[in-house]
Amino acid sequence: MTALRRLDSRLVLFLLIAAFVLVIVVYPLVQVLIRSLLHDGGWSLRNYEAVFGRPRNYVALWNSVWVSLAATALATAIGTLTAFVVQRTDVPFKGLLRFLLILPFAIPPLFAAMGWVQLAGPVGLLTKTWQSLTGASGAPWSIYGAGGIIFVLGITKYPFVFITVAGALQRMDASLEEAARTAGAGTGRIMRDITLPLVRPAILGGALLAFVSCIDNFGIPAVLGLRVQFQVLTTRIYEALTIPDLALATAMSMLLVVLAGVAVWLMGKFEGRRGEHQIIGGKSIRPHIIRLRHARPWVALALFAVAFVIVVLPLFALLVTALQPYYGAPLNAETITTRNFEAVLNSSAAQRGIRNSLTLAPIAATILVVVTALLAYLNVKAKVRGAKLLDGIGMMPFALPGSVIGVGMILAWSNPPVGPTLYGTLWILLVAYLMRYMAYGLRSCRASLMQIHDSLEEAASTSGASRLRTMRDVTLPLMRPGMIAAWVLIFISAYHELTVSALIWSARNETVGVWIFVMQDSGFPGRASALAVAILPIILIMFMITQWLSADRSAI
Amino acid sequence: MGVTIQVERLTKRFGSMTAVDAIDFAVGDHEFFSLVGPSGCGKTTTLRCVAGLETADEGRIGIKGTTVYASSERLDVPTHERAIGMVFQNYAVWPHMTVYQNVAYPLRLKNVPRADQQRRVGRVLEMLGMEALGERKPSQLSGGQQQRVALGRALVGEPDVLLLDEPLSNLDAKLREHMRVELKRIQRETGIPILYVTHDQLEALAMSDRIAVMNDGRIHQIASPVEIYEQPATKFVLDFIGSVNYLPAELVNADAERVTLRVLQGATLVLPRPGSVPDGREVLLAVRPEDMVLGQAIEGSDLHARVELRSFLGNLCEYRLRHGGHELRVQTEKDELVAEGSDVVVGVRRGYLLPRAAAQDVDARVS
Repeated sequence: MTALRRLDSRLVLFLLIAAFVLVIVVYPLVQVLIRSLLHDGGWSLRNYEAVFGRPRNYVALWNSVWVSLAATALATAIGTLTAFVVQRTDVPFKGLLRFLLILPFAIPPLFAAMGWVQLAGPVGLLTKTWQSLTGASGAPWSIYGAGGIIFVLGITKYPFVFITVAGALQRMDASLEEAARTAGAGTGRIMRDITLPLVRPAILGGALLAFVSCIDNFGIPAVLGLRVQFQVLTTRIYEALTIPDLALATAMSMLLVVLAGVAVWLMGKFEGRRGEHQIIGGKSIRPHIIRLRHARPWVALALFAVAFVIVVLPLFALLVTALQPYYGAPLNAETITTRNFEAVLNSSAAQRGIRNSLTLAPIAATILVVVTALLAYLNVKAKVRGAKLLDGIGMMPFALPGSVIGVGMILAWSNPPVGPTLYGTLWILLVAYLMRYMAYGLRSCRASLMQIHDSLEEAASTSGASRLRTMRDVTLPLMRPGMIAAWVLIFISAYHELTVSALIWSARNETVGVWIFVMQDSGFPGRASALAVAILPIILIMFMITQWLSADRSAI
Repeated sequence: MGVTIQVERLTKRFGSMTAVDAIDFAVGDHEFFSLVGPSGCGKTTTLRCVAGLETADEGRIGIKGTTVYASSERLDVPTHERAIGMVFQNYAVWPHMTVYQNVAYPLRLKNVPRADQQRRVGRVLEMLGMEALGERKPSQLSGGQQQRVALGRALVGEPDVLLLDEPLSNLDAKLREHMRVELKRIQRETGIPILYVTHDQLEALAMSDRIAVMNDGRIHQIASPVEIYEQPATKFVLDFIGSVNYLPAELVNADAERVTLRVLQGATLVLPRPGSVPDGREVLLAVRPEDMVLGQAIEGSDLHARVELRSFLGNLCEYRLRHGGHELRVQTEKDELVAEGSDVVVGVRRGYLLPRAAAQDVDARVS
């Protein structure tokens, strides 16, 4: 009797969550797939032909690929090098450096693009400094176009590589290197023959993450490429939707899916191989640290300089632009003005945008944390069959480029077979965020739960606690830090999201990210920067909270 | 003495593997009862079935007269409704609660009034020498302290039985020895019956009133430690508990008091007649290291061997001897030390005889 009742409640829960995942994730994706194969009411590949038929489109496809590859190479180089220096040398201020080097995660890519335009564009700060120093009239570089896109993508995506490589270096069993040392290998040989090969899966894993993030990105190529007719898939999809040529957008979205899918499949292969490289040691022996000696201050300086250039400089440029009376004006005590801030923060449209974002982000975060916590529980602890499959489905949007989600939303929620037409309302954005960030919640909750050893819950039941009581008194409190971290992460991401929002927003339903982009794109960089600067502190504080929370999690 | 735990024909399978194979045993009202055996023998699975953390496939389990599991009646009382206290191998002390909160939890679940909670938790903490640590968090405690918290938590609710799953295996040697005595003392003081699982035969011998030796899902023998050691029922028990030397031998003569054997290239050994003497001439002689003697001349033996290795253990001395292709382990008092490399005569004070075929058969009966 008891056993039967137990199964019932879990089954009901499972079915509810399954319905949620199917409606939010599967339905829009299926729509995109089907629509891409429909033309004039019949099955056809004409949409794909249109993609490969017109130069605009296949050039955009090609650009997406090679620009992302180049940016990934740059990101991998920066990420790997900095990870090695921070983990394996005695450079000072490691805690601070680690924090600074991950900071680009917190800064919306759009802001980075804007900042770099304001630094290195035709009337940028750096450009003007160069001009005054050399007396030239132009600059030897152009921030617009492929070069600029590769540069900004590379320096904003390297944290993916940094984190995976630094993590692998930290967890590595030092005795492997010590054995090489006793065999007679010096530091250089060890790095080359032992450390690097063992860390290679992490490097590749991080690089793949960076690659997917690059092809997915809209803000950077939009700001740095559109102006000079340099297109990538995400910007083409955006343009296609403004025509609107839904069929074309759908076909291009599917191609993006294929690109991302190939990358994720490769990532899966490497994760599988990681088993043989499972190098997490038993007793914690500290790995050998390279003594930098007299190079120490210089290396530290170099790292801080890198962090400065990547993080501080563009934000500084944003601040400067926000305070300028007009773009390109000289900045001194007399010309500083708060006019941009006033214009932006007083405009009802901007206020509406902020309000919308501040409404959508917490709602999305809360719904997702609750649903994914329950699903993770069903999967990890209750071991309900099928929960694993559901978890996998929920993880899919992680690899899906935002543009695809945007297109999927349009197809799914304008005149759906059942339910309201969400397109044109604020709530389609909510549904989009639910789909996009479900994976964040799943990952975090799953990791939290797996850290909670079964014996902790068993001890509760041997003490007399029912299943529900155990969840309340033991499981939930121990999951809480992970859930909070997921909440904050989803909040930040949804708050400044642009890629998806740009495709599905409508009048009076703008978000903050959309607003900033629109202002920048329409030639009001001052106002765009002012709004960006205004919301940045919240983002940074939230980011610091997630860092503090994840560092605080003691092994259970 | 009455019976607290009754286990009848308990069977548990995992897929095609039978982890527990129709075992029967009972734990008396104030008894310290151990399940001992190598990894994979089914002892932990059995314990978990008694706790309700695993559901067996067949059999019956009763705790203090109440049936908590019966396959015939499709009865399976959930863990939290069984009046048990359990200590896990990794202690499972909740990191987000203080020591006090951990220990008080079973009382909280029973809605015991606050004042009573404090009294009972205080008493348990005092019994374990942890009165001062009530407000500490587990991360601030050593392994031994965490283990005592787990013990306190298991005892505070005054359960019908205490279940322990290899609780001492993660402690260092000195602490383990100390806790062995502690656990026995607590058991004597509270009178609570204990079902204890361990792979350490020494631990089981030292602490238990009775031991069940398990292998491959079956119980080989249930008896007191002395009986298990002196009168092992099967070759497995002989192997697992204590150490033993095996020598193929030829039974030359057996009378009421003595047996004469020919071992290893013709040496003669005479020893007191063991409990059972197998039929036939081809036998296997089993001797414990401490039942062998060394000297220049020993009555009843002309078995010579060379001392290869000597290990001085402080209170005893262990030797490895070699005779032809055979290695012998001998343990003696430390009074007469024999040098490495010397030739000695080895005598046998006591031994067991098994049929020669028993060399490969762990289930062969011994006594």
